Amino acid sequence: MIELHGVYKTYRVGDEPLTVLHGVDLRIEEGEFVSIMGPSGSGKSTLMHIIGCLDTPSVGEYRLRGTLVSNLSARELAVLRNRMIGFVFQNFHLLPRITAVRNVELPLLYAGVGRAERRARALDLLARVGMADRAQHLPTALSGGQKQRVAIARALANDPALILADEPTGALDQRTGLEIIHLLRDLHHAGRTIVVITHDPTVAAAADRTIYIVDGQIRREEVRRR
Amino acid sequence: MNAWEMINMALISLRTNKLRSFLTMLGILIGVASIIAIVAIGNGGKAAVLGAIASGSAQNTIQIVPRELVAPGLPQPGQVLAIDESDLAIAASFSGVQQVNYTLYGTAVVSSGNRSDNASIEAGPANLNELTRLRIISGHMFSQADVIGHRDVAVLSQSLANKLFGSGNPIGGLVNVSGVPLQIVGVAVSQETSLFSLFMGSDALYMPATTCQDLFPNWSVSEMDVQAAPGANVQSLAQRIVTALNIHAGDATAFADSSGLASSVGALLSKVTTILTLVIGAIAGIALLVGGVGVMNIMLVSVTERTQEIGIRISLGATRTVILLQFLVESATITAIGGLAGVVIGCFIGLGIRITTGIPASVPWPVALISFLFSAAIGVICGLYPANKAARLNPIEALRYE
Repeated sequence: MIELHGVYKTYRVGDEPLTVLHGVDLRIEEGEFVSIMGPSGSGKSTLMHIIGCLDTPSVGEYRLRGTLVSNLSARELAVLRNRMIGFVFQNFHLLPRITAVRNVELPLLYAGVGRAERRARALDLLARVGMADRAQHLPTALSGGQKQRVAIARALANDPALILADEPTGALDQRTGLEIIHLLRDLHHAGRTIVVITHDPTVAAAADRTIYIVDGQIRREEVRRR
Repeated sequence: MNAWEMINMALISLRTNKLRSFLTMLGILIGVASIIAIVAIGNGGKAAVLGAIASGSAQNTIQIVPRELVAPGLPQPGQVLAIDESDLAIAASFSGVQQVNYTLYGTAVVSSGNRSDNASIEAGPANLNELTRLRIISGHMFSQADVIGHRDVAVLSQSLANKLFGSGNPIGGLVNVSGVPLQIVGVAVSQETSLFSLFMGSDALYMPATTCQDLFPNWSVSEMDVQAAPGANVQSLAQRIVTALNIHAGDATAFADSSGLASSVGALLSKVTTILTLVIGAIAGIALLVGGVGVMNIMLVSVTERTQEIGIRISLGATRTVILLQFLVESATITAIGGLAGVVIGCFIGLGIRITTGIPASVPWPVALISFLFSAAIGVICGLYPANKAARLNPIEALRYE
């Protein structure tokens, strides 16, 4: 499902080139639940951006379900993000001025889904994450855990192959964080591929496999049997 | 995403920032409203001037006057000052001429009982009210029979009637002019400020030309009113008659067509009004431009403010084109709504002026349509740079932006 071969990423900071990823090889299968761990500055965010098609590698190959992402135009990347990837962010990243249901509708809007179907699907998704009664609330009227549930509903909108979560519990208290982890596990059991980037060991431990990244390189892997 | 979804999204975004959206709109609104109002007033003014001039010379009537009256000044020795019987006969001999009348002007003391007033006398044919654009407000105009029969009848201007009779009814009463009592058959108001009535004031008495000649045998006929037959070419007829009269008088410039003079004055005034409207309109156009710059400024602020929103939208699959269109539609919606409100308010200003001053202010619909489309275009043009800036944001940096 996800294949990275010899991926390097170099940024230009002023005149100095700064290499963040130093030859990453990574393979994630369909239906896996993988966590990526590493200290800050290790390059895990950059890796997430590349996997999430927000950025492309400087050197190396990235294939998502067989599509060579490195060669795609900005427009094709946008379509890929829209259809194949659902993002869950640390700070939820809901649009603050529109209601929960309209937030969930956004990926459907960009996919060209009609008004009535969009609304029906968004309400259905909110019900699935237990937020049916909060559909008409603005994000400001929701708690952190509720916001993250709405964000997960939005990530699922176009039935993407991959859920990509960047520190999904980072802004939540322990109990709510645990609920979100359970929600992600449920999605995994339903057959979805999930990649979580975190520096929290309890979150990482929820995954079947944990990849440790240090200084832009994969140092080791840990596979759990359940 | 279709256009309607785009506009709907823009409206949602504008609604969340009502005060700012309104203030941004205001610049466009004021610009468009002033353009519409200026065009309305300019149009109305022009129509009023042209209407007054057109009505000054009744349709199908050629008003011929001796040159001295066209260009005031001391008469030259031997200059034709009056129109005599032979001149009238020459005009009447042309084919295409239905009837030739004549008008006399002068002043005389008009009295009734112990009240008297110095009034201008206008004497002419039974259609004198059309020639000098009178509106009969009570009674009636003297008739053709009155003219033929040299009858002692008169029509008073309203101001003269008020002076002589106060609030009483003057119809059927008598006024004394040059020792002869005239019976009043009507009261009239002048509907224009024509060149002649400007000089002569508004206290006027109108009577049949024949009666006037009986009363004042030494008054000269100062205007010939040639009634053209329906369908005749009035302009060429006027030229031919004036030429013939000049040959008869032995002076190439003895007579002139005063209706032609009126129309050339009209053309000049109309030109002046058009130029004034254009100049003031251009100034209002600058106001619109300033409004457009305001829109651009606000859209730039909005892009910076909403950087994270843009990042989120891009991560959810919005293409650059969609982001670009979103901001373009937003700024075009602001200016289109502002323009629409401006058109409506401008029309109301025009209507207010029409009601309060009587100037027939009007807004031609193409002007309203063009103003509206132009303001929407300003939104697109001024939104282009900010929208492009939004569309080119790096999604990763935009997502991190706080």
